[in-house]
Amino acid sequence: MTIVSTNQLVVRRSSIPILAATDLEIAAGERIGICGGNGTGKTTLLRVLAGLEPAPPDMVTFDCAAADITLVHQHPWLFHGGVLGNIEYGLAARRINRSTRRQVAGEWLERLGISQLAGRQVEGLSGGERRRVALARALAIEPKLLLLDEPLAEIDDAGIAMIREVLEQLENTTVVITSPVDLPDGFVERTIWLATPQTIPTVN
Amino acid sequence: MDFLFDGLKEAVRLIASGDRQILDAALRTLSISLSAVALAILIGLPIATCLARRHFFGHRLLLVMFRAALGVPTVFLGLLCFGLLARRGPLGPLDLLYTPSAIVIGETLLALPIVVALAHGALVTLDHRIPETARTLGAGPVRRLLTYLSEARTGLILAILTAFARCSTELGIAMMVGGNIKDRTRTLSTATALETGRGEFAVGLAMGGLLLLLATGMTLLAAMLGKENRRDA
Repeated sequence: MTIVSTNQLVVRRSSIPILAATDLEIAAGERIGICGGNGTGKTTLLRVLAGLEPAPPDMVTFDCAAADITLVHQHPWLFHGGVLGNIEYGLAARRINRSTRRQVAGEWLERLGISQLAGRQVEGLSGGERRRVALARALAIEPKLLLLDEPLAEIDDAGIAMIREVLEQLENTTVVITSPVDLPDGFVERTIWLATPQTIPTVN
Repeated sequence: MDFLFDGLKEAVRLIASGDRQILDAALRTLSISLSAVALAILIGLPIATCLARRHFFGHRLLLVMFRAALGVPTVFLGLLCFGLLARRGPLGPLDLLYTPSAIVIGETLLALPIVVALAHGALVTLDHRIPETARTLGAGPVRRLLTYLSEARTGLILAILTAFARCSTELGIAMMVGGNIKDRTRTLSTATALETGRGEFAVGLAMGGLLLLLATGMTLLAAMLGKENRRDA
């Protein structure tokens, strides 16, 4: 079952293409990597899939609700306050009661190996810790489509192994990840290579 | 020097003894400027949010106007309000001239550009990831807005404190549309001017001293917040 597909998707900024024509068909439960050099539009593609970048409706077709899609930025933003409050944010937005929220947040902290951060404030967390908290926050809402922009930068080997295990257990979730070349073999099931967008010269 | 020193001694004694007219003016100053700032937040925060989040026709002009309004002298605002509220003015039938409400209206006009300009400054520099993160985590418009404002809290509090410090210490508006009426519209600033003018230097000093305390307290608080903000970054 296809969860999202694109048809000759092109994204332009000030009429300059920043993402070349891309055809995608992403099935539910897949783990997909997006590869390409600088300026090939990896992040832009992720933003389109997250609904943060406007795209013509005939170019992108979603077969899941917007609430089922979430994105973790390359440099994730954590809201001020506690680690738990951050992980519970999406659950609170879904009006899930406090005790359930606490319990779910605790579970994700444990699965990502950061239980010791439960009582911490976000100020003073290391880069790797911030990434893992942001990942836990995204996973806590059990998305159908999880978009990760270079999620493993700044994370140590033990952390990568742990995150890999967690992501591999997500059977109903499609994971789209950029820069999969940094990942261990077999982490993604297939890889999409993006071409450099070409500026089509206009002829007078 | 004796004149100054004796005045200071008497001023401290007056404040310490809880002199009724001083306390009265202080409480009135507080309630009037708090009301004005509250109104300015109510009107100004939505404007600042709109200016920071949306671009529309006249956006730039509106922003420039609010920034320029930061420098409007209070005595001019007093004059404007007087014109509006005087019996023959457009709002004359409301019969508000020389009431605390008149001062609240004037000070709201004084606080509004401060709230809009400073809050806009705090909001417009917010990271684009904040609304995006809230959105991709499924937050509705209300929660997104609250998150957005909460991430700018230091700058917003700074805006509010600055507005409050300005309102509580201004003289022009309180004098012109308040009229400095005893037990009705006398504030710390108008009382300071009046008492000094009629030779009651110690009372003037006591009133002015309280005003100074109020203003420096607010400014200190604002400075401390600004420092904390830099540590966050």
